[in-house]
Order: sequence, then C-alpha cells, then structure tokens
Amino acid sequence: MYGLEAIQASNGWAMAITGAIIVMVGLTILSFIISQLHRIIDIVDNRKSKKLNARNQAEISEPQPVLPSLSNLSETMNRFKPLTQKIGDPFDLTALFQIFIHHGDPHPHLTIRSLREQGYLISTGEGLFSWKHQ
Amino acid sequence: MDLFIQFLTNTGYYLADYRHLIMLVVGSTFIYLAIAKKYEPLLLLPIGFGVIVGNIPFFKGFGLGIYEPNSVLHYLYFGVTTGLYPSIVFLGLGAMTDFSSLLVRPKLMLLGAAAQMGIYFTLLSALAFGFLPKEAASIAIIGGADGPTSIFLTAKLAPHLIGPVAIAAYSYMALIPIIQPPIMRLLTTRKERLIKMPDIERTVSRRELLLFPVIGVVLCCFLAPASIPLLGTFFFGNIMKVSGVVDRLAKTAASSIIDTATIFLGLTVGASTQGDVFLTPKSVGIFVLGAVAFSIATASGVLFAKLMNLFTKTKINPLLGAAGVSAVPGSAREVHLVGQREDPSN
Repeated sequence: MYGLEAIQASNGWAMAITGAIIVMVGLTILSFIISQLHRIIDIVDNRKSKKLNARNQAEISEPQPVLPSLSNLSETMNRFKPLTQKIGDPFDLTALFQIFIHHGDPHPHLTIRSLREQGYLISTGEGLFSWKHQ
Repeated sequence: MDLFIQFLTNTGYYLADYRHLIMLVVGSTFIYLAIAKKYEPLLLLPIGFGVIVGNIPFFKGFGLGIYEPNSVLHYLYFGVTTGLYPSIVFLGLGAMTDFSSLLVRPKLMLLGAAAQMGIYFTLLSALAFGFLPKEAASIAIIGGADGPTSIFLTAKLAPHLIGPVAIAAYSYMALIPIIQPPIMRLLTTRKERLIKMPDIERTVSRRELLLFPVIGVVLCCFLAPASIPLLGTFFFGNIMKVSGVVDRLAKTAASSIIDTATIFLGLTVGASTQGDVFLTPKSVGIFVLGAVAFSIATASGVLFAKLMNLFTKTKINPLLGAAGVSAVPGSAREVHLVGQREDPSN
C-alpha cells in the first residue's frame, strides 16, 4: 500500500498531528516554567531576606547589654553584699551567679566580669572570691 | 596447488562483489570528508573506517562479521542495539552543555519544537512510500538530526534499519554546512539576517542552573517515559556539571566516557553497513527521506522564528530557527557563520 491510502491505513495523520501537538505543548510548558524560574527564586529569596531582616530588626530593638558604670557597680556591690551573706565569705562565683539570676540581673556574666575587673570582687585563692572592703 | 587455490577462494579479493566495492568507496568518502573537509570528523572518521571494516568480505560462519554471534564486532555492536552507547553519549553531552542562554531566553526552546516538524512530515512521507509505521517513525527521527537519538529509537522500533538510519542521520549532520545555508538564505531576507539581538539582560543564578535539570527531567520523562534512558543521563550529566561538587566526574563524562562511546558507536555503526544487507532500495529510500526530513526541519525552524517575530517586541534573528534541529553543535555553528557573513559584528 502506498500514498495517502497507506498514511490513512496506518493512522498517520493522527500520529503526526498528535506528536506535533505534544512536542509543542510540552516545550511551551517547559519554556514557561523556565521563564518563571528566576522569579520564583526571587520570591523565595525575598521572603527569606524579609524574615532575616525582621529577625535582625528584632535583635536590634532588644535592649543591648550596657556595661555597668563604676557608680552602678558600687551600687550593685552594696545591693548584693547582704544577699551573699548566706553563701559565706569567701564565696564561689557560681553561687554569686545564681543569686544574680534569682534577683533578676539581666546580664549576670557581664556584671560579675565587670565587678572583677574593677576590683569589687577580690580573689582569695582556690577559686573563691570576696567583696572589696570599703 | 589445490590448497593454494582454496586459499585464494577464501580471500576477500575473491569474495568481493560490487556491493562491497560501493561501500568501500562510501567509507573512503566519509574518511575524506572528515580529514580533508573537517566535516564532523569525530563522527565521520570512525563511521567511515567502520564502513570499510564492515565491508571486507569473509566466509560466513567463522564469527567474524558484525551480524555473526560471538564475533568481537557483534559484542561491540551490542551497545548500539541495546541503546547503551546513545545513552552514554547523552551523559557526556549533558556534562558539556551550558543552559545559561536558554534560561535567559526560554522562548528559543520553541524554535527547537518547530524544527521537529520535519519529523512529522517525514513520518507521513515514509508511510506514503510504503514503510511500516515503526520503520517510518525510525526514518522520521532523522529529521530531529540527532545521531544518538536516531540510533536509540531505531534500535527499539526497527533494528534491521539501524545501519541506514544511522548512516543517513550522521551523514546529514556532517553535511550541515552544505544543506542548511541555502535553506536559511532562501527563507530569509538580508534585513532579517542582519537582526541583532540584544545582549543577555541578566545573569543566571547557580540555583536556576541547578533547578533546570531537575525540572527538565521530571517534566519531560513524566510526559514521555520512553525518553528516560536518554534524558535521564543527559540531565544527570548536566547536574554534575553545574553542581560544581563532582567536577572530576563531570569532566570524565564530558571527555573520556563520551569519547569512548563515540568511538565504538561510530565504528560499529559503520561496520553494520555490510553491502549485502545495506544496499537495498529501502536504504536508498531512507537516504532520500532523511534529506527531506533534515531540510524541512531547518525550514520549519526558520519559518517559526519569522512567525514569532510577528508577535514579539524583541525581534529574533530567524537564522536561529535553523539551530533548532538537534545537530549539536554543528547547526548552531553554521547559523553563527551565516549570520557573521552578513554582518561580521553580529
């Protein structure tokens, strides 16, 4: 069988048209998705960077630890000296740390460090400390 | 004396007939085109030499020929008949391909779709010439102008036609500089050939390059699962390249692996063209239809680009349509050359 008759008998027209449509539609969809790909990535990136910005903003708006001033340190020592009587003298800095936390000091590490550096807490040896004598 | 005569009757010189001689001339022509004209030498040289090797006459039954079980050539040919070599070639192609330009201008993908129209025209023509539907499909794929795909599909649908289909596909790929430019010039005006497309407007992010092979393989292979052996390896090769984490593997796929597959593919496809099985009226028909398929594929790509220009703000140089055929990278190179001949600064 030859010619148009052969094409008809093999369902050739339908095969050719269906094939052409599938290729065209398939590649159109693929090209559309590809054309939108960078936009989708941008949207995801923007969302991420917005979240990150918001987090950074929140961190910025949080009160930053302020190094206690010398007068504050003196006040801190006067305030906490009576409170440390129950842990004895000299005392362990861990115990002092717990007392600071218990009484709501926002930055106990920083406060203790400042007290040590400024000489309000004096080492008595063997890892124990005592308040400066006034 | 009898022994000597017996020896002489066993030699290829005695056994040769006109078909072997014709094929030796064909093989030599391929080698000439590859070396002297540098037409796709990576393909034509192994195929041409394979044609010569496959057409040396011998006594059948000694396990020598490519179609005889247990012969070395038969084992090497296994990679063709099973579709193994095309799959490996696609792995390497994926590892070599840079999709950045396509990702910036995805509408160019439609030119590729349009250039496939040659396939459907040839399918109808082959049916009209009396080929069976599966044979017609194998011949039509020559219009896609992609050697490994043609071999892969023919191996699945009409294995007895692998030789002529592969030779036709690769011949036309090699003859791109002769076939495509006249069609391009015929269908475009000088003004159209001078169209300068704007430079790429944006840089493609690494994430886009990484997502493309994943989206591509999922979309295409879900749509046509039969393409898994080719597209699966192709996109795998590409993700190896763009990921940047397996440079060693990507480089190997793009060099040693694809080269090895190309050598054996070319040699065995060439050797499969034994005169007695190759030189038939069907093969001549396949060659004629292959030329038609390739020409129509080129023409439909160019015409579709012109059609797109009617609807888009940024004009496309219609020569690009000819690069829509899958003859990578020959077609793209030819388009570039024709464009530059009109305007060296383009």
